[in-house]
Formats: sequence, structure tokens, C-alpha cells
Amino acid sequence: MDTLNELLGGFATAMTWQNLLFAFLGCLLGTIIGVLPGVGPVAGVALLIPLTLNLDPAGSIIMLCAIFYGTQYGGTITSVLLNTPGEASSAITTIDGYAMTKLGRAGAALTLAAVGSFVGGTVATIGLVFAAKPLGELGLLVGPPEFFALMVVGISLLVALAGKSMVKAIISGALGLLISMVGIDPVAGAPRFTFGMDRLLDGVSFVAVIVGVFGLSEILSYRKNAETPLVHAPGMRSLLPTRTEWRRSTPAIARGTGVGFGLGLIPGMTGSVSSLLSYAAEKKFSRFRHQLGKGAVEGVAGPETANNAHANAALIPLFTLGIPASPTIAVLMGAFLQQGLTPGPALFTEHSEIAWAIIASLFIGNVLLLLLNVPLVGLWTSILRVPTPILTAVILLFMVIGAYTINFSVFDVFVMIGFGLLGLALRNLDIPLAPMVLTLVLGPLMERSLRESLEISQGDFSVFTSRPISAVLIGVGVLIICSPLLKFHKPKALTEDPEA
Amino acid sequence: MSRTKITAAIAAAALIALTGCGANASANNPASGDDFPKKGKSIDLIVAFGSGGAVDTAARLVQPILEKELGTNVEVINKPGAGGQIGYTALTGAKPDGYTIGATGSPSVVVSPLDPTRGAKYTRASFEPLGRQVIDPAVIAVQPDSPYKTLKDLLDAAKANPKSMTASTTGLQTGEHFALAQIQETTGSVFAPVHFSEGASQATTAFLGKHVDVLVANVSDVTDLTKQGKARVLGIMTAERSPSLPDVPTFKEAGYDVEAGTVRGYSAPAGLPDAIAKKLEAALQKAIEDPTVKEKMSALGLQTSYLSGTDYEKFWAGQEADFKKVLPLVQKKD
Repeated sequence: MDTLNELLGGFATAMTWQNLLFAFLGCLLGTIIGVLPGVGPVAGVALLIPLTLNLDPAGSIIMLCAIFYGTQYGGTITSVLLNTPGEASSAITTIDGYAMTKLGRAGAALTLAAVGSFVGGTVATIGLVFAAKPLGELGLLVGPPEFFALMVVGISLLVALAGKSMVKAIISGALGLLISMVGIDPVAGAPRFTFGMDRLLDGVSFVAVIVGVFGLSEILSYRKNAETPLVHAPGMRSLLPTRTEWRRSTPAIARGTGVGFGLGLIPGMTGSVSSLLSYAAEKKFSRFRHQLGKGAVEGVAGPETANNAHANAALIPLFTLGIPASPTIAVLMGAFLQQGLTPGPALFTEHSEIAWAIIASLFIGNVLLLLLNVPLVGLWTSILRVPTPILTAVILLFMVIGAYTINFSVFDVFVMIGFGLLGLALRNLDIPLAPMVLTLVLGPLMERSLRESLEISQGDFSVFTSRPISAVLIGVGVLIICSPLLKFHKPKALTEDPEA
Repeated sequence: MSRTKITAAIAAAALIALTGCGANASANNPASGDDFPKKGKSIDLIVAFGSGGAVDTAARLVQPILEKELGTNVEVINKPGAGGQIGYTALTGAKPDGYTIGATGSPSVVVSPLDPTRGAKYTRASFEPLGRQVIDPAVIAVQPDSPYKTLKDLLDAAKANPKSMTASTTGLQTGEHFALAQIQETTGSVFAPVHFSEGASQATTAFLGKHVDVLVANVSDVTDLTKQGKARVLGIMTAERSPSLPDVPTFKEAGYDVEAGTVRGYSAPAGLPDAIAKKLEAALQKAIEDPTVKEKMSALGLQTSYLSGTDYEKFWAGQEADFKKVLPLVQKKD
């Protein structure tokens, strides 16, 4: 019961009015940063660190953590309302989120995303309190070969995202892989597809690509049918989810929590992987999988839960091992260090009061986010009432600012514009965008882990099959890839209707 | 139709306005020493890495004291990318008028121009070194349950069975990779490098999960791991023992002449007028040797080790020579 006592002590510290204010400010700022397309959690947290240097350690870390998970929620808002992902990890939410907006269910989508985020974040924090140590060790079991095998499972889910045409899905996926190849080869050090431009040595910025392909191309495609009005803002009554929507979201939220929590424990995973795989899981396992892509609540609730569960679970390796599991956490770790706190087990012995206050604030922050966002759903949806010309201009402005702030360079603005044109072309050719995002996110991680694995085994491919975890995962991946083929060969009469 | 036109017009205006902001409003009057720095004209301190990292943290600690010493604003500007190359290109491309200085770190700044395929537009001579701030020496560590208890045990084993043990680096041609190459060059011990291009945290994670045998890292990376008993540091690649790891012998003590590590300092673009260089150098020395800055740096596990501009330049040239010698070893593609 020691843990509980210390947690209660943490709550006492976190509930002082100053710290509550910091948590609230962090949630609010995080939501705003999340709403702005392109300005991501990394940039957001990094920009605000200098401001917090003079605050006391507990307060400043509480605020930065709140910003960090607040952005995960804020990213949803523009994804759902405007088909423009505010964050990379919300890119997949655009598919069903925007479809729901077109059906007049924008309010329901946002409410369910907020509730899902709350559940995911809270469950992950409970894990942090009661099982941090074993969970942290669990994450370490995933070495490069296991990581690679996990990526194989991820890429195999391309099959699930294919939609009408497998060929078009593969075209889209291959494009994503090609784009992710640009830059310095992570192992041999040779520049690839950089055309002698040193700006391209780091590759094209993922955020600029996502904002361009999804957001800008959406705005560009308005031109074609500018006479037809945009989606209507829903009335006050349709803001709340219906009973059916609640019921359908529950299993999706549960799956999203599982996916996000599990992947969040693994150092090197990003929130985008969680939301993508959660969407793919819905495509595979949801009872309503055939409605996904047409405005199914599962497509919003699942990924949005997953990325919040991931954001909170990713703090476990930081607290137990002192390892930043993702780029955002690395920035957060920098803030810890600047305050003279070394993340890791020592934090609980040397500064246990602060450590528990931060953990308590995670619970408080998740509640604050829920309280902040559900009432604001009405306000956010009223964005849709703004006349189209003004709205698109404002969005465009924010996209340009967002792309610029990634590296403070105009180059990324042009990248964003270029990929906006590409996205428009793909839309007109009816090529789905989701497979491209999947390979863009997973491609570099897969390449890196493949090559690290082969360096460990010194070129021996059996490293993937001789280790139990990776062997099982590779098997699962192969099964998923083969599943449509198996169905194809079965006589029609034998295939059972999954919904029967 | 009119709606379409309005949309297009506003969008175009927004784009033009914003891209215009990116154009560099650089300084236009060369300063002549006495009136440097002009009141109200701020000095840009370019950090070639992202905010929140070690280089950025050091620069932000130094910044307020620089401001006090110089009597003007100093702005830390992050220009991350391509392992520092973007920021270094911006620094060396700036006017040498004292209003642009930058954080320079080796091996990145030393190595990037050595490899022609990277197309770096600068060399050693493009920088005017102003002062060195820290050295973070390289260390070699094994798993706590490893049979190797001393540096000699480990290196002999790696010599007898080359490439039988994997060793982490933070990427090709990084400080850790050069350290391995220098070990190979001096002692004949060969490890199989595994490059974790994402950086030190990925390398440490793989080491903690026992996916690699040997951890090559900097002192600041392993101080905490040693305290937790999760790594056994066998040797430190520097002339003297580190205060953070007083029990760890140096390579020299064990009889190997290997020195390696990460070094950080500050430089201006070459061609800076002497008088201005002197002023900047003096201000930097004050800031680097400031007791609170030093204290905060050592809390990060980093030992302040100031060198003047001239000495830093000599040190830099020496490192360049060391690196050139082992360059073929780190370029070999496994």
C-alpha cells in the first residue's frame, strides 16, 4: 500500500492551485498546438521549455506533460472537422472522422474521441502506477529483430486498408516507401534521392508531407466543387453520441487502449504507429468493419484512444529506465534534466515527491482534458459555420506556419505544397491515401530495425525466426498477407458471413 | 465563381506573405570592433541541433551570461538537420560580422566535410573557433553479468575472436563509431558495430535489453546506468579519470593510447575582424566558466573544459588528423 500512499501524497502536491493551473494551462496549450496543423508535440514542447525554466520543477514538468498529451487530443479536432490532421498521429482519423462530419455527426465523433482519449490515457497511467517496473522490462524484450517483426505485421495490414482495389493500395503504399527512402541511408551513410540538395539529407519532413497530402489536397479539391456548400454545422442536439454510437465505440476503445498501451511501452515506437495499427485492427476485427471509411465511429474512437494510451504508456520507460521512447519524450527528458531531475528509478528515491506529483497530475490532466474538450465540442463544430473562403484561407495560413516551424525553413513549406499537389492527383485517380501514410510511418522504422538486426546477427537472416517473439510475429504477418488469397480459393458457399 | 476567386486570392496572398518572411534579413554594415555589438542589434547563436538536446541546453545556459557581457540580445536559433550540416552551412554562410555565431561540436563538424559524398560546403577553415566548452569522453561498458572484468580482458577477447561481440554506436561516423575505429587501430581489437542511427537512447535500450554485448557511449550517458548497476564501465577514453566515474580506469592506465569523445564549443564564420573576435571570445569565456553554468553542466554529467579560440582551433585540427587516419575504417560498409 506504499504505492497508494505515495500516490495520494502526489495528489496533494498536484492539487495545489498553482499546479492545477499549470496542468490546466498545459492541457489548453496542448489542445491549441494540436489543433494547429503541422505544429506538433515535439515543436510545441520544445518551444515552451525555455519558458518553464524559471518555474519550480514540479510545476514546469506537470505543464509540459500536459502539453504533450494535450496535443494528442487537439490533433483530432481538425482531422474530424476539416479533413486536415493537426498531428501525424491523427492522420488516420481523417478517414472516418471527416466522413462522420459529412453525415452531421461531427459532435459525436469529437465527444467519443475525447472519452476514448480519457480512457486510454487513464488506463496507461494506472499501468504506470502499479506495474511500471515489470512493464518497462517487458518493453526491453523487444530488440531490433522483434521490432522488425512487429513492423512486418504492421505493413501486412496494408491488406486491410486496401478498399476497392489492391493494385491502387499497393501503388499508394509503394509511393510512401519511396518518399521515406529520401535522405541519408541510416546505416551506410550514403545520400539517397537527395539530388545534391543538403536540405534533403534528412529526408522530407513527415509532418509536411502529411499536412500536404491530406490537408492541402483537401483544400485544393474544394475548387472543383466550390458551388456545393461544405458540410453543415450540426445542431446542438446532434452533438452527443447516440446509444448505438456509444455501444459501438466501447469495443473499439478497448482495442485502442490495448494497442496503444502495448506499443507505447516499446522504445522507438511513435504514436502514429499506434493509431494506424489500431485503425487496421478495427478493419480486421470490428463487427462493423464494412462501414469503416464511410463514417464509422470505430474509425475515430479506436485510433484516438490508441494515440493517447500510447502517449501515457510511453512515459513508463522514461520513469523506470530513464529511456526516452519517442522524440517527444526525448524533448520532455531534456526538460527534466534542465530542472536537475534525472528520469529513471533514481527519480523515485531522490525526488519521490516530484515524481509522484507528476504521475498524479497525469490523472488530473486526463480529467481536465475531458472537462475541457467535451463542453468545447460545440465551439469547435461551430468552426464549420465560417464561410468556406475565409475558413480555407485561415487553414492554409496555419498549414504554412506549421510547415515552416518544423525546421524554421521555407523548404518545408514547398515540400508541403508539392505533396499537396501529389495528394490532389491521387485523390483524382481514386488512389487511397491511408496505405501511403502506413508505409511512410512504418517504412523507416522497418528499414532501421531490419538493418540493425542483421548487424547484430552479422548478416544471418535466421535471427528473425530463431527468436520466439519475432518468429510468432512474422508468422502472424504472413498469415494476414495470405488471408485474402485463402478466401479467394474458397468456394463461395463455404465462406461464412462474419456478421451472421 | 466569386467564392472560388476569393479563396484563391486569399490563399495566394497568405502564401506570398509567409514565404517572404523566410528571406534572410541579414546584417549589412560591417562592424569595426569598437562599436560592437551595437545596442539593440541582436546576436544569433545558431545551434545545429534540435531544442532540448545537450548542445541546445548548453547554449541556452550560456546565453543569458553572454547577453550580460555583450550588452545586447543573444538569440538561440535551432537549425537542426543532416547531423548538424544544415546549421553549420548556415553558420559558415553568414556574414563574419560577429552578429552570427554558432555552437560547433565534434565529431559532427569535423567529420561532415571529410566525406565528399555528403557535399558539405564548408571545411575546418570556414570556421573561426571562439572557445571550447566541454568534453564528454567516450567509454566502453559491458553487461553487469559479463565475464569480462577488466578492459584488458575485453580487448584481448575481441582481438582473439574479431567481431565475436557486437558493440553499439549512435550511427555511422559518429563519435562512438570513431572510438571503435581508434580502438581497432591502436589495439587490434575488433568489435562488430551495430549502428543505432536514432541516437544514444536507442543504443542504450538495446544494450539494456541485452541485444548488444558492448555499449560504447559518452560519460554523460552511462553515469546513471552505472549507479543503477545496469552497466559495468571498463574504460574511459581520456587522459584523466572523470569525476563522474572516479572508479573507472582510463585507457592510458591500462596501457592503450586511445582518446575519444564528444567535444562542444562555439565558433564564428571565418574572416571575423580580430577586435570583434576578442570581444566574443572574452564574453564566451566568462559565460563558460561561470560557476552556476558549470554546476548545471555537471548536473547533466558534462565536465566543463574551457579552451581559448586558438587552443580550440589546435585541438580541432588534431582531432581532424586523428579522424582522417581512421576514416577508412569507419567508411567500410559491413
